[in-house]
Amino acid sequence: MNFALSEDHELLRDSARSFLDKEIDLAPLLVPGATVKNANYEANWSKMVELGWPGLVIPEEFGGSGMTLIDLIMVVNEIGRTLAPGPMLGVLAGTWALLKGASTEQKASLLPRVASGDLKLALAVADESGNADGPGSDAKASAGSTGHVINGSKSFVIDAAAADILVVAAEVDGARAWFLVDAKQNGVQVTPLAWRDITRQVCTVDFHDAAAERLEADDATIWPWVRDRILLVLAAESAAGLQQTLASSVDYAKERVAFGKPIGAFQSIKHVLAGMFGASECANTAVLFAAWALSEDDPKASISTAIAKAYATEAYVTATNQNIQIFGAIGFTWEMKNHLYFKRARANAEMFGSPARHRERVIDILRQQAA
Amino acid sequence: MDFNLPPENDPRRLEIREFFEANPRPTGRQLAERGYTVPHWPRPWGLGADPELQLIIDEEFDRAGLQAPARLNPVALNNCAQSLLTHGTDAQRERLLPPALAMEEKWCMLFSEPSAGSDLGALRLTARREGDHYVVRGQKIWTSLAHKAQIGVLVARTNTNVPKHAGLSQFLIDMNSPGISVRPIIDMSGNENEYNEVFFDDVKIPADRLLGKEGDGWALTMAQLQTERVALSKAGAIWGSGPSARDLVSELIASGGIDDPLIRDEAAKLYIEGEIIRLLAYRSLSDRMNAKPAGPEAAVRKMVAAPHGQRIVDLAKRVQGMSGLITGNGAFKRTNDGRHMFDDWDYAFWFNPAVTLGVGTQEVLKNVISERVLGLPREADPTAKTPWAELQKSKLKTAV
Repeated sequence: MNFALSEDHELLRDSARSFLDKEIDLAPLLVPGATVKNANYEANWSKMVELGWPGLVIPEEFGGSGMTLIDLIMVVNEIGRTLAPGPMLGVLAGTWALLKGASTEQKASLLPRVASGDLKLALAVADESGNADGPGSDAKASAGSTGHVINGSKSFVIDAAAADILVVAAEVDGARAWFLVDAKQNGVQVTPLAWRDITRQVCTVDFHDAAAERLEADDATIWPWVRDRILLVLAAESAAGLQQTLASSVDYAKERVAFGKPIGAFQSIKHVLAGMFGASECANTAVLFAAWALSEDDPKASISTAIAKAYATEAYVTATNQNIQIFGAIGFTWEMKNHLYFKRARANAEMFGSPARHRERVIDILRQQAA
Repeated sequence: MDFNLPPENDPRRLEIREFFEANPRPTGRQLAERGYTVPHWPRPWGLGADPELQLIIDEEFDRAGLQAPARLNPVALNNCAQSLLTHGTDAQRERLLPPALAMEEKWCMLFSEPSAGSDLGALRLTARREGDHYVVRGQKIWTSLAHKAQIGVLVARTNTNVPKHAGLSQFLIDMNSPGISVRPIIDMSGNENEYNEVFFDDVKIPADRLLGKEGDGWALTMAQLQTERVALSKAGAIWGSGPSARDLVSELIASGGIDDPLIRDEAAKLYIEGEIIRLLAYRSLSDRMNAKPAGPEAAVRKMVAAPHGQRIVDLAKRVQGMSGLITGNGAFKRTNDGRHMFDDWDYAFWFNPAVTLGVGTQEVLKNVISERVLGLPREADPTAKTPWAELQKSKLKTAV
C-alpha cells in the first residue's frame, strides 16, 4: 500500500511542466477574434513529438515507451494545467482503439509511425446527438469488393483536422463496428466546428463512399475500454486545470487591493478559495485512483473513471466560474486567460457524457453489484 | 503507487485475529497490555505502529465486533493523553495513563466557555496558585462526557498580566473534586448528556496536576486539537461515526427509493464524495508512512466531510417525506453494529447541525485552510497583543 507518487512520476511531471511552461504561449489566443487556427497546434505538436509523447502508451514492441496510465497522467495533467493546444487527446484515443481492436499486422504497420509522430490519429465516435455509446451510428458502413465503404457523418471529432487516419465507429448490419479510414482521401470531408474552447480542435466529419478497413474486435470489446481511458484523460486535464484555476485565483486575491487590503483578506473570498482547494484535492485524488485502478485492471476501474470524470469536470466548471468572480470584470475580457479555462472546463464536462450522466452510470454499476 | 490495502493474510493481521479468537470479550486492561488501545504510541504504551498497522488493528476490531477504543475513551486516546508523554511527569504518567489506556478512567476536555468558542484564547476561567494547590473558579460548556469522566483536561487562565494566549495553563483534574458541578445541556435533538456545562466553585487542584509549565496551556491545547490519530474515518455523517453514503445508497437501492430521479442524482453525488473522502484518508495515511510531514489533508478532509455527512442524513430524511417528522422514525434500519446512538438515522439527522460547529466551526476551518495552506492574509485579532487584565479594564470602560 503506497498512494504516493514515485520519484520517477515526479520527474516525468516536472520535466513536462518545465517544457510546457517554456514552450506553450497562449498569447495569440488572447487577441480578440482568435480561433483554434491561432493555437499553434502543429508547432506545439512537433515539440511534443520530440519528447516522445505520442508513444507514451504504445508498447515498446510497437515503437512506443510502454508507460502506465499513471505515468501518462503526469503528462496529461501538465497539458491540462497549461491548456497546451495539440492533438494529444485525438492521438491517444485513436491509439487506444487500435491497441484494443486492431490485428497484430495493423498494429505493427501503424503504431510505430504513430509513436514516431509520423502519423496522427483521431477517434470518430460521437454522433450529432452527442451520444458516443452507440448502439447505432450516423455513419453507416457496407461491405464492398475490396473492403468497406462508409457513408454518413460523425460529430464532435477531437483533432480530426490534424489527423491522418480516423478510427471510426460506424453501423454495419445493425451493429456498431470500428474502421480505419484514411482522412486524406476524397470521400472524407473534415469541417472544424466553431467550438468555444479554442485550445482544442473539434470537427464534423462527412463520409461519401469513403474506403474503410474494419478492425477485428467488436464494439463491446473496444468501446468500454477506450471510453474509460478517454474519461480518465478528461478528468486528469480537468483536475489539473482546476489546480491552476485555484493558483491563479489565489495569486490574484493576494495582489488585488480594495478597501485598503488585498481582497484575499476578506472571508467571502477566503472561504471560496478554501472550498476550491478542497475540490482540487478531491479531484486529484479521484484521478490518481482511477489511473491506478485502470492500470491494474482493478474491478473498480470503470466506476472509478466515472467518479473521476463526474467529480473533476464538474468541480472544474464551478471553479472557473468562481475564478472569474474573484478576478472581477477584468476576468470577463477576452484578453485574459480566465475564459480559456472556463471554456475548457465546460467542454470537458460535456464531452463523452455530462457529470450527471456519469453519476447515473455510478448508480447503475452499484445496482448491478447489489443485484 | 499502489492502492492495495494490507492483504487478508498479512501476518500482523493474523496475529491480532488470533488474539481476538482466544479472547472474544477482552477487557480494557488486556487490550492496553497488548498496546492495542494506542497502537500509534511508542512502547511500552503502544506498539510504535506505522499507519498501515493502525489500519489493520482498526479493521480487526471491527471484524471482531468490538468498539474501537478511541470511540470509548476519545479524549484520552485521540487527543490529550499523548501530551503526557512529552510534557507529563513520571508521577502523572504512572497515575493517569494505565487507567486511561485501559479505558477504566474516561477523560473529558474542559476547553470551551460561554464566551470563548472559536476564540478559545479568550477563555475566562481562572486557576490561582495557593501554596501546594490551585483554586479554580469559572465555567466550561459543551463538554462531552463530563458526566461520565473521571479525569478532566482543563485549560485555565493562570496569569492575567500577559496577552490572552500566553496566560493559559493546563491541568489534569479529578472530576469528583468538591466544587465541580455538571449540568447536562438538552440539545435540539432532545437528547441530554451529549454535552454539559461544568461549573467550578473554588475547586482545589493539587499543583502536581499542572501539565507542563504555567503558560504552556495554549500550545498544549492546540496540539491536542490537531492530534488526529490516523483513524480511517468511515466517511460517514457525524464526524465519521454515523451513516455513510455507501449505507445511504445501498438502502435506497434495497428500498427502491433510488428509482426517483431527483433522489438518484443527489445520492450519486454523495456516493462519489464519500468514495473520494475515503481516498483522502488513505492518502494522508500513505503520506505519513512515507514520513512526509502531516499536511493539510486532515483539515481539508474535515472541511469536505462535515457538510458531506450532513447531506447524507438530510437526503435520507427527505426521502421519508412527512413521516420523517415523527420522533424516533429513522429512514432506515440502524447502521454499523447499531450500538452507537449515531447509528440511528433519525437521531443522526437531528444531531446534524452540531457537526459544522463542534471541534472548530466550518468558518474557522476555512480560515485556517486559506491562511495556512493558501497563504492568504491572516484574520487580525486586535486583542492578541494586549495583556489580559488591561483588556478587561478597557472592556469595562466601554461597557460603562
